[in-house]
Amino acid sequence: MKILIADDSRVMRQIVVRTLRQAGHGGHEIVEAENGKQALELVTTERPDLVLSDWNMPEMTGIDCLSALRASGSDVAFGFVTSEGSDEMRQRAEAAGAAFLIAKPFTPEAFDDALRSVL
Amino acid sequence: MTAPALTAPSYDDVRAVTDEVWTTLLGEAAPLIDRLVPVGTPFDSVGVWSAAVTVSGGWEGSVTVELTTYVAGALTTTMLDLPHDAEVSDADVADAVGELVNMLGGNVKSLMPGPSVLSLPSVAAGRAAFSSDAREVARVEATWDGEPVRVTVHNSTGETHR
Repeated sequence: MKILIADDSRVMRQIVVRTLRQAGHGGHEIVEAENGKQALELVTTERPDLVLSDWNMPEMTGIDCLSALRASGSDVAFGFVTSEGSDEMRQRAEAAGAAFLIAKPFTPEAFDDALRSVL
Repeated sequence: MTAPALTAPSYDDVRAVTDEVWTTLLGEAAPLIDRLVPVGTPFDSVGVWSAAVTVSGGWEGSVTVELTTYVAGALTTTMLDLPHDAEVSDADVADAVGELVNMLGGNVKSLMPGPSVLSLPSVAAGRAAFSSDAREVARVEATWDGEPVRVTVHNSTGETHR
């Protein structure tokens, strides 16, 4: 499986990769994007099976990236990894077509639960 | 009868958010320990990193974190899974401290009325300075491994919690 990780923080992308490994999902191919715009392009060229995206990023936010993907006909599995885990944000994520929202700070268990829903 | 709208996060809420973020990122071996600091005391002005995010919309405010260079470096090496004495670049420290305040701000935002928008973090090498119209509503003063850590929440209309 190929996973695209979109986050403007290199440190956070590294933590997400490490947490995937700790959650027992370390064998996947990883592609990284620094913002939603780059993620949008990489979904086309890299054809990932899952996008794990921050919400708040420069250039293009995660929610705008997801909306653009769905508008273009892409049904790639998409989950948010964001510091904003309120009910309102979860509802917005779900309405836009996200499979899950993992709130920061997170645990490997939270990743495992979320990924099992799309694997 | 409806409850009045929440205008500021409580000290207990901010402390709980800070503890949760801190222990998730840095582990539970060295928790934050409360320290008493007189109101209005600037954060140690030498060897400091600071970062802030703002929240705009249903609640208007900001969340700021201030750390010594030692704590910022330890945070960075831990987040990058490097040895604690590893050399880290300013860019990596800025990235790590920015992510810390992003998590704190996002969690404080989730406690407050919405909808609202969280800004991208701004990070600086140096202590934070606040405009005269920024009203402090909660402040967590702590030490980690003997070094000071401060988290402050500001808005323009809230009650003050310390």
